[in-house]
Amino acid sequence: MDRLKHWVTENPDLSFAILLAVSVFTFFAITEPLFFTHRTGFAIMERFAVLGLVGLALTLCIIAGEIDLSIGSNAALAAVITVRFTDDWGAINALLMALAISTTIGAIQGYFIAYLRIRAIVLTVGTLMLLRGVALFAAEEKTVMLTDFRIPDFISTKMLSYFSPASLLVIAMFVVVGLFMTFTRYGREIYAIGGARKEALASGISLQRPMIIVFAISGFCAGLGGVIIGLRSGTAQALGLQYLLLAGTVAAFIGGVSILGGKGGVIGAAIGTLTVNFLNTGLVFNVTPAFMVQLYLGILLLVVIMFQTGSRVFEERQRRSQLLADVDRRRSILSEKIAALRRPSG
Amino acid sequence: MTDATLNTGDHLNLIQRIRRDYSPLVIGMVGLFLIVFVAGAVFTDDFLTWFNVKTIIRDAALVGIMAIGLTFVTLSGNFFLLSMKEIAALSIICFATLMSADWNQWGAADADPTTWTLGMTFLVAFVATMIIATVAGALQGALIGLGGNPIVVTLGAAGLFFGIGSWWSDNLVVSYRRPHGAEWLGTGSFIGDIPNITVAFIIIAIVAELTLRYTTFGRQVYLVGANRAAGRATGHENFGMAIKCCIIASVCAAFVAVAFSGQVSSAHVNYFSSEFGSSGDMTIMVIAIVMVGGNSIMGGYGSTLRTSLGAIFISSIDNMMVLNGFNSGARVLAVGLMIVFSIIVFALVRRGSRAVE
Repeated sequence: MDRLKHWVTENPDLSFAILLAVSVFTFFAITEPLFFTHRTGFAIMERFAVLGLVGLALTLCIIAGEIDLSIGSNAALAAVITVRFTDDWGAINALLMALAISTTIGAIQGYFIAYLRIRAIVLTVGTLMLLRGVALFAAEEKTVMLTDFRIPDFISTKMLSYFSPASLLVIAMFVVVGLFMTFTRYGREIYAIGGARKEALASGISLQRPMIIVFAISGFCAGLGGVIIGLRSGTAQALGLQYLLLAGTVAAFIGGVSILGGKGGVIGAAIGTLTVNFLNTGLVFNVTPAFMVQLYLGILLLVVIMFQTGSRVFEERQRRSQLLADVDRRRSILSEKIAALRRPSG
Repeated sequence: MTDATLNTGDHLNLIQRIRRDYSPLVIGMVGLFLIVFVAGAVFTDDFLTWFNVKTIIRDAALVGIMAIGLTFVTLSGNFFLLSMKEIAALSIICFATLMSADWNQWGAADADPTTWTLGMTFLVAFVATMIIATVAGALQGALIGLGGNPIVVTLGAAGLFFGIGSWWSDNLVVSYRRPHGAEWLGTGSFIGDIPNITVAFIIIAIVAELTLRYTTFGRQVYLVGANRAAGRATGHENFGMAIKCCIIASVCAAFVAVAFSGQVSSAHVNYFSSEFGSSGDMTIMVIAIVMVGGNSIMGGYGSTLRTSLGAIFISSIDNMMVLNGFNSGARVLAVGLMIVFSIIVFALVRRGSRAVE
């Protein structure tokens, strides 16, 4: 019990995320009789496959103190490329091609952000439009479709009653990225440039390497998400998938990242995504239209932001009043000393 | 103060002054854009006709007005609002719902409406829409001003507004019958054959430029955007500034929504999503205009005049490509390339000239 208490005080964000996830899950498990079943578990994991990737990508970006707005366009481009070329080259080749393109795009973005020293949002809002154009070009302004539907069937095969090949792949991805972030130097560098960029740069960390790694991983995750969506549904649209950004951001923020960077982690991303998925799936049982889900996600994001900003403002005010009190105390001590010095001489 | 300090640079001619004020990269980029533009204008048939010029400016008007509003936010150093099209969607639903409300109609269905009743119907709906937009803007502005990241706040607000709009209209098309009180704004024209929306665009552009240049508020926007610490030290907190600028941006978006609703006498939340116009969705288009116009996205540098010119430039490139038979993919690609190119050029210039954070 003591160790638990210690852990909670050490990781307040993560424990809040777990609490939120558990309470959302319990709420729907009690109100919806069908929610707590194997099939729903499978459906949740299927959603996790895509949203988890986007949540992971955005979590890494926000840890590095940046945000990648082009994630939806990147995913759409990967989906279009995979679906369009599967018939000609086979699924594996098309998939690898799409992933290579997405990762390269991400790495190039990271390079330019580090080289030009601009904020990522400035560049990625441009590439959001550019990649959309490329995707439209690649799809020839049409909805591209698969002709061979054995691949979608394979991707959604049930394994171990909860998982499919896609979600197992994504879980493996989570584990690899988690180990990378925690135990390698490159991962720690990403935390460093997010939490205290000036100090990190002053201590000799290059800005380019972590930036390129972060955005390459982000591009890879977006691409993989797009590939999974494309192959699972058998169709792809160049202008689709823009909703991923909002859902991924909500997942990342529930998972405990701070917009200032340097905080949060892969476990948080997983829990945040699961919370969003519980909410999504539970609302589907309630026959909620899709736009209401968007409304709830928007409110959730605003509330989380409000808490974060509020606590930051509160802390700042606390610190300032602490500082003022300190100054007052020192001044009174000083004046007492001066008075004590004067008395014998006077 | 002597005459010498006051008149520094007066002896330079125009070309020398441009070379002093702008870096060669920027001059090169603007030159390149101009060459492409002129070449396109010369080699495209029917491009330089009065009818086509009118079409270009009318196309630029709707996105241009929104972009002028967004310029205030960008200049004050709060990046941009990702919720522009959602504010417009909420406003258009509000406007159309009130225009078609029973108590707001001009009497029996076969009665001839008088100008007064039409005007009152329009006025009620217009004022309510503006109030909603003001509240929406103030909400975002307050969260941004408290220190929330503008991108994340407006991303959440976008979901919220879009959800409210869809919920209000049940995700259906809200339509109202002609004649209605918004026709003059949507399709009418008072001055010759120039549409009123074009006139509104020009008036808003001039008013915004004069506000930024010659009023105290305008100078404060530049101060807060250029140097937030200096702004705070002189008593101009970003809190109030963010609220004011977000309200301006939302009101501009709501105005565009009203004008667009007047054109088609109906409303739907998806009017401003990807189907609108030709290139991508409206929010990104508006941000593209602000960036291609050459406003510094970090704030403090730029003007609404640049934004208006950017709107006309993008609109004319788009028009040129349509006349030459390009598909939407190529047009979105062209606009995207222009944004990325201008971002990189401006970042290179900033990197060379000023100490970076």
